[in-house]
Amino acid sequence: MEELTVVGKPVTRVDVQEKVTGAAVYGYDLVLPDMVYGKVLFSSKAHARIKRIDTEKAKTYPGVVAVVTGKDAPWIHGEAIRDKPFLAQGKVRYVGEPVAAVAAVDEDTAQAAVRLIEVEYEDLPAYLSPEDACKPGAIPIHEDFASYRKMNFILPGAMPNVCEHFKLRTGDVEQGFRESDIVLEERYFVPTIQHAAMEPHSAHAQVDPATGKVTIWVANDAPFRALHEISEALGLPQEKIRFINPLQGGGFGSKGGLKVEPIAVALAYHTNGRPVRVKFNREETFISTLTRNEAALYIKSGVKKDGTIRAREMTIYWGGGAYAEKSPTVCIRGSLPGPGPYRISHVKVDGYAVYTNKPVAGSFRGYGIPKVAWACEQHTDELARRVGMDPLEFRMKNVFVDGDVSYWGEQLHSVGLKETLTKAAAAIEWGKKSSRVQEFKGLRVGKGLACIQKPTRSPTTSKAGVIVDAKGEVAVLAGTVEIGQGCSTILSQVAAEELKIPIEKIHMAELDTDAIPFDASTTSSRSTYHMGNAVRRAAIDAREKLAEMASPMLEGEKNDLAFADGKVFLKDHPGMALPLGEVIRRKLGADGTVRGDASYTYELAKELDLETGHSDNASAFYMYATQAAEVAVDEETGRVRVLRMSAAHDVGKAINPLNCAAQIEGGLAMGIGSALHEHMVVDDQGKVRNPSFLDYHLVTALDLPEMIPIVVECPEPEGPYGAKGLGEPGLAPTPAAIGNAVADAIGIRIYDLPLSPERVYRAIQENKKKVA
Amino acid sequence: MRRPEPLEIFQPTSIREAGALVKEKGPGGRFLAGGTDLVIAVKEKSFSPKYVVDLKRIPGLSGIREEADGGLKIGSLTTLREVEISPIILKRFPFLAQSAAEVGSVQIRNRATIGGNMANATPSADVAPALLALEARARIAGLNGERVVELEQFFRGPGQTVMAPEEILTEIIIPPANPSLVGEYIKFSPREMMDLAYIGVAVAFVFNASQKLCEKVRIALGAVSPTPMRARGAESLLEGQVLTEELAEKAGAEAARECKPISDVRSSADYRRDMVRVNTKRALLNAAAQRPGKWTERRDRRY
Ligand SMILES: Cc1cc2nc3c(=O)[nH]c(=O)nc-3n(C[C@H](O)[C@H](O)[C@H](O)COP(=O)(O)OP(=O)(O)OC[C@H]3O[C@@H](n4cnc5c(N)ncnc54)[C@H](O)[C@@H]3O)c2cc1C
Repeated sequence: MEELTVVGKPVTRVDVQEKVTGAAVYGYDLVLPDMVYGKVLFSSKAHARIKRIDTEKAKTYPGVVAVVTGKDAPWIHGEAIRDKPFLAQGKVRYVGEPVAAVAAVDEDTAQAAVRLIEVEYEDLPAYLSPEDACKPGAIPIHEDFASYRKMNFILPGAMPNVCEHFKLRTGDVEQGFRESDIVLEERYFVPTIQHAAMEPHSAHAQVDPATGKVTIWVANDAPFRALHEISEALGLPQEKIRFINPLQGGGFGSKGGLKVEPIAVALAYHTNGRPVRVKFNREETFISTLTRNEAALYIKSGVKKDGTIRAREMTIYWGGGAYAEKSPTVCIRGSLPGPGPYRISHVKVDGYAVYTNKPVAGSFRGYGIPKVAWACEQHTDELARRVGMDPLEFRMKNVFVDGDVSYWGEQLHSVGLKETLTKAAAAIEWGKKSSRVQEFKGLRVGKGLACIQKPTRSPTTSKAGVIVDAKGEVAVLAGTVEIGQGCSTILSQVAAEELKIPIEKIHMAELDTDAIPFDASTTSSRSTYHMGNAVRRAAIDAREKLAEMASPMLEGEKNDLAFADGKVFLKDHPGMALPLGEVIRRKLGADGTVRGDASYTYELAKELDLETGHSDNASAFYMYATQAAEVAVDEETGRVRVLRMSAAHDVGKAINPLNCAAQIEGGLAMGIGSALHEHMVVDDQGKVRNPSFLDYHLVTALDLPEMIPIVVECPEPEGPYGAKGLGEPGLAPTPAAIGNAVADAIGIRIYDLPLSPERVYRAIQENKKKVA
Repeated sequence: MRRPEPLEIFQPTSIREAGALVKEKGPGGRFLAGGTDLVIAVKEKSFSPKYVVDLKRIPGLSGIREEADGGLKIGSLTTLREVEISPIILKRFPFLAQSAAEVGSVQIRNRATIGGNMANATPSADVAPALLALEARARIAGLNGERVVELEQFFRGPGQTVMAPEEILTEIIIPPANPSLVGEYIKFSPREMMDLAYIGVAVAFVFNASQKLCEKVRIALGAVSPTPMRARGAESLLEGQVLTEELAEKAGAEAARECKPISDVRSSADYRRDMVRVNTKRALLNAAAQRPGKWTERRDRRY
């Protein structure tokens, strides 16, 4: 293979300058000429019928341009299940649901008018936990569920309020339990948390009164998917809708689908062509955009004395909140590998995505894996303890290796899991007594680790274009959204590598669905692999065309040409090199351009079998990771302090090692927050009690331990240069690794997140009582 | 973030002028110091004062002075960052510097003032317990002259003080202290920084290190009653006694009994009580151990 010039190198991010100087324009910063400002009236009820909405006073308030309710916007959207109204239709299903919206000359006026809208409700029973909502006899949160348009993979099942039932059936778990020496059954719980992206949500929309074309400016992580969703909802052909994507200040899964967009569109139909801005503040973002599914996880395993796991059964209730959003697919892709990356002959999984009367839940970095890992990886430690094995040794005995057929029937390849296990463990001196001195009585030190395997959304397509101009500059046309993850840098590196043009000459074209080729989404850690492949192929296509043009100029065969440093030359005469811009100028003139195009699709060999959950190719690739934590627990207060944490991630090939390390560290920070602090507190009326950063505790830099990112490269043959993905796994095993370390430190297993001081303190107190 | 309604802002250059303004404009106005409480209340909590009187143009309200008698005077507009890094305070009352250092972040402390921390009268104000343990007093200026009140009398309830609307807190007075005074402030919160105290404990006492004898014991608690409070029962257990771990534990238990915490989204009342118990004990033992060190190192002593 040719030597790589920029791929694999720690290239500085291409967008760093504009971001650190504050020049970058995010969706939230956007100002459009002549725009009006929207504000929203949110439901104050968790579950209620709307008896009356009176907007008269708001309509006549000076400065108001438009007031809309569900009557003015009778549209329903949704991806897997089409169930979500633009504005409440007849009933509300959670506190925070948009009920009405006002557009006015400024935000204050809009807000003042919103306060004048009167709504009369008639309360209905509210379900605030997924396990309650699907009990026999529960009343439906969606009365018309049966008639909703659903994707073909949706299997709702018979229980009330269940919008998806995922089933995995392999072997016979009962037989497996009989063959086991030890059978252990536990329940774990993961609460609702939020993405807490730095940039809150916003959307701008405009409807052209002459053509009816709808333009939406929004930092959405999947503009083509959003376009499709709006098009279906409005019944408008796709060419009548245009998404323009400004920069996104973080999303972590919260900015896909439609969030603020429907409100902006509903208003834009009533402003006579003036663009509408709807910006959510932090509180509104907390209650009315998206949250991470809460999950109650039941897990039961049978293990032989020699440490072989024979059988594992899991039942998972995914709290979906009031609308399906991506909960059905979180349920599928989170439940499928839920039993963990282990060779187990008898496996049974039932995953239920359940409607509740809480803020909408759905995709969140990790897509279900952090929740199942919290249960599965702690449970696995407990099994190891019961058979008297070291947790690392126990995993090395049971984890997947190359060539294994997984319990969902797929033969696995490029499995870097064992390498991540040994490297992460070694980095925190696994097996050695902690060297941290106990400065105070009551401080207990312990170590723990956890590993995961994560699939990616499959099958999907990415298309890309690469345009080289007569100055030798390159525009990359890719629908991947820069959400802060560094895709602009990675894709620039790929284009630079294939065209052999210096990276400074590459730029990413603005993301506008009228001009940019299709891409499935910037989600599921899929972009480096899928879009990386597409950009690579498009760049090769452009290079071939350039070679075609250059060959007569250099009087040589195409095959004798070589590219380097922005120039083309005959391999034997590197001294006589032509700059690529010069080639284009000579052939096509100063305005000439050469464009390469390509598409990459990962085709699924066989679709998921809905009755067994089996597929011989469920994912384009799998990401493997192990994280290991050393913690100190203050037994007198319950405070957990993470002392150091290693994170070994199999990325296939690090296109940019610097970006990989940063991605891992960012993931760890987020994972530690979800392990120790984060929890959206919802009271018995369905109201979020801590919708601000005052009481919703993200970690700060000072809460972070020494972090040891480790890149493992077990190449994926289909991936660009062998790359897999890395966006999500950084936080997936983190809470479980910390949970295992806490259990090691204090000898007590804690089943619910977060490991807040009060929770840990209580567990210690209760244990004392039990012992006494 | 809600944009405030148009606000009338005044910038008087003397205390008299400021007081007169308030008298003239009537109730419903607010003084402005660093703005780290007030501006947030206006922008995020829909608080709308009728008008705002900025105190920062009034000369002489900021600075730290050592008095001839060994006491200390801290102007109300002195920033918490100044309190945190002041050589005099670090030498004399390192735990006071530390309590200031526990507030928010450096950026916040560069604006936040000690007067604002007191006048805002939040039960969890971090500097209040340390000042109570030093038996500090507040100098208040009104239209009819000045008065000095014990800080313990200054707080009246959450957000409430003894000050009339037109009165200004001008100075914090710390009385002269015995050279053998030792102290400690422990802020207990889940996060390392940028967090409000779940509970706060300050202790100060005159310590005879060779005999381990405690005198003039002052223990003050934050975030466990409507106002920052003294734990007098715990103090009296220690007065004139030899400090042992057992006694520190007893004092902690007594402080836990005395406080009146509430349950809220941050913490249950029971947990707050238990944390008062543990951290009072730790504060006493830490103070007696008199380990020097910067606040960042001192923070570790929470554990
Ligand atoms: C991000 C953040 C983190 C924070 N963290 C903490 C923390 O950890 N611990 C903590 O204790 N606090 C914290 N605070 C609160 C705040 O910073 C402090 O209470 C600060 O000391 C207030 O001082 P200020 O000068 O900003 O007050 P201002 O906001 O200017 O005033 C506060 C109140 O006091 C009144 N006032 C101010 N000065 C006077 C005076 N001289 N005479 C009469 N009335 C006066 C004002 O009218 C107003 O009502 C935090 C605030 C923020 C924004």
